[in-house]
Amino acid sequence: MQRVSPNQALPTLSQLLARVHLRLILFSVVLAALSLLVSGTIVIRNYASRNLDLVAKTVAYTVEPAVVFGDKQAVAEGIASVGAVNGIDRVAVLDPQGQVLAEWRHPHGDFHSRIEDAANRFIWPKPAVATISRNDTAIGRIEIYGNSEGILRYALSGLIISLSCLGLTVIATRILARRLQQDVIAPLDHVAEVAHAVRSDRAFERRVPSSGIAEIDRFGRDFNALLAELQGWHAGLTSENAELARRATHDALTGLGNRVLFEQTLADAIGQSVRSGQSFAVLYFDIDSFKQINDRHGHECGDSALIAVAERLRQSIRQADHAFRLGGDEFAVVLAAFADQASISAVLERVDRAMAQPYRLPTGASANASLSAGVAVYPDDGVSPQDLLRRADANMYQAKKDRALSGAKGKNHA
Amino acid sequence: MIRVATIIFAAMLASFAAPPAVAAEESLVLAAASGDPYAPAVGRMVQSMVEYTRWTSPPNPVELCISGPADHASRLDGLRLSDGRAIVRRSISASPLALAGCDVLYLGRLPASAARGLTDAARGKGVLTIAESDPDGRSQAMFVLVFRPGALTFRLNIDAVSRSGLRVDPRVLRLAQGG
Repeated sequence: MQRVSPNQALPTLSQLLARVHLRLILFSVVLAALSLLVSGTIVIRNYASRNLDLVAKTVAYTVEPAVVFGDKQAVAEGIASVGAVNGIDRVAVLDPQGQVLAEWRHPHGDFHSRIEDAANRFIWPKPAVATISRNDTAIGRIEIYGNSEGILRYALSGLIISLSCLGLTVIATRILARRLQQDVIAPLDHVAEVAHAVRSDRAFERRVPSSGIAEIDRFGRDFNALLAELQGWHAGLTSENAELARRATHDALTGLGNRVLFEQTLADAIGQSVRSGQSFAVLYFDIDSFKQINDRHGHECGDSALIAVAERLRQSIRQADHAFRLGGDEFAVVLAAFADQASISAVLERVDRAMAQPYRLPTGASANASLSAGVAVYPDDGVSPQDLLRRADANMYQAKKDRALSGAKGKNHA
Repeated sequence: MIRVATIIFAAMLASFAAPPAVAAEESLVLAAASGDPYAPAVGRMVQSMVEYTRWTSPPNPVELCISGPADHASRLDGLRLSDGRAIVRRSISASPLALAGCDVLYLGRLPASAARGLTDAARGKGVLTIAESDPDGRSQAMFVLVFRPGALTFRLNIDAVSRSGLRVDPRVLRLAQGG
């Protein structure tokens, strides 16, 4: 495939059309003008030639008595009256020996006599000849040389008219090219502009408007269809990407954020607290006796427990807080900036209350889950994510131990 | 109606009109016959006038009658028309009766009354009348020769021409440029 460098000046379509039109019209006008001029000149010359023959015959008849009488002046006057007619350069009356009895010449202006002489020689190489006869005896001869003045004038006016026509057609070509540009190139420009917008701005919703020219319209419709397909693909890709991104940061089973998202959120919360000076808390949970649920009821029931716990956690926290499943039966919540210890307790109480509701197992039975919780408060329990997590974890195990001790008194359901 | 208004058609005739060879021949004959420089021109003019005149029945030969003493008639012998007819010359008296058989009447120096008598008799009879010496146009001849130094011209009496019973080629009238 041939690639064209952008700095190489390519002709635009309108320039191309204008050039083609100009050439076409120049060619046709020049051809028409030339053929008209040539054919006109030939026709005029033929008529003039016939006219000269006729004039020669007339002169022969007119001057016959003058030649018989030998009256040279009468002969001269006779041919002068004829010579005054247009289109005659020279009239000569000769006797049978070829001696010139009388002669008339067109009074030439000095200005164009040379051009005219050349044209006369070219157009009338031979004179029109008529014999002066008296009772079938030749008593003289008339020779008439044509004058090209009329033909030259015709050619000149033809040339001027051709040139004016040429000028007019050049102007007409410009107008035509401009109209063509409006009619043909503007729709194409639309297509190009839309294609450019799609490429550079990802504006897949753009469409090519209807152009009013069948070919370009068909092209535009196909282009639009292609754009619609592209838009579909692009939308699919975008949502797929978003889904992939969500999956990378969320737990597939419960829909809560995973450890990756938790670490991000924690780092963000620390950064925010550094700026605002407010404190926040990290809550760490695990499900009591989750191993036993799995062992006793199967992994499906374990999954149901995880889903139920996640659901209850999500419902128990505020909108600004975030719940995560860190893995296995471990959950965490990042509590957004809070005013006092009481709000932590309120959240924990809500979680406890929510867990008190039994959940339904796939087997149809219902069960209860209980959580052990550990709390770490920024910045009191640590300033790094690791410290906070470790502290929350430790607190949770402490709580679990405490619960186990009290559970020995007979409060463990799991 | 055209009255006696004698319209003068003067055609200038150069004495050297004839081609060189003919001119040389003529000048030899001229030198032999007489010393009159007008005689050849008169001969040619008379021949041309006969040439362009139409009789109702073309005479053959054409009889040229000379009446009265003629000064320039020495070259009127042996003239021949382009169609081959000859012009035969004879002299007649100044009497109208002598006109019989004449096709052309050449008037020499005659008194006006005698000339009028002849032209009156010739009128309507198909006789071409040419007057050699009639500057005032009193002879009523159809053609009147006018001698100028070095040139011979003629006047035309249109009235006489129209009454003559002859047809003169109108191109002969065109030869002249009004006088």
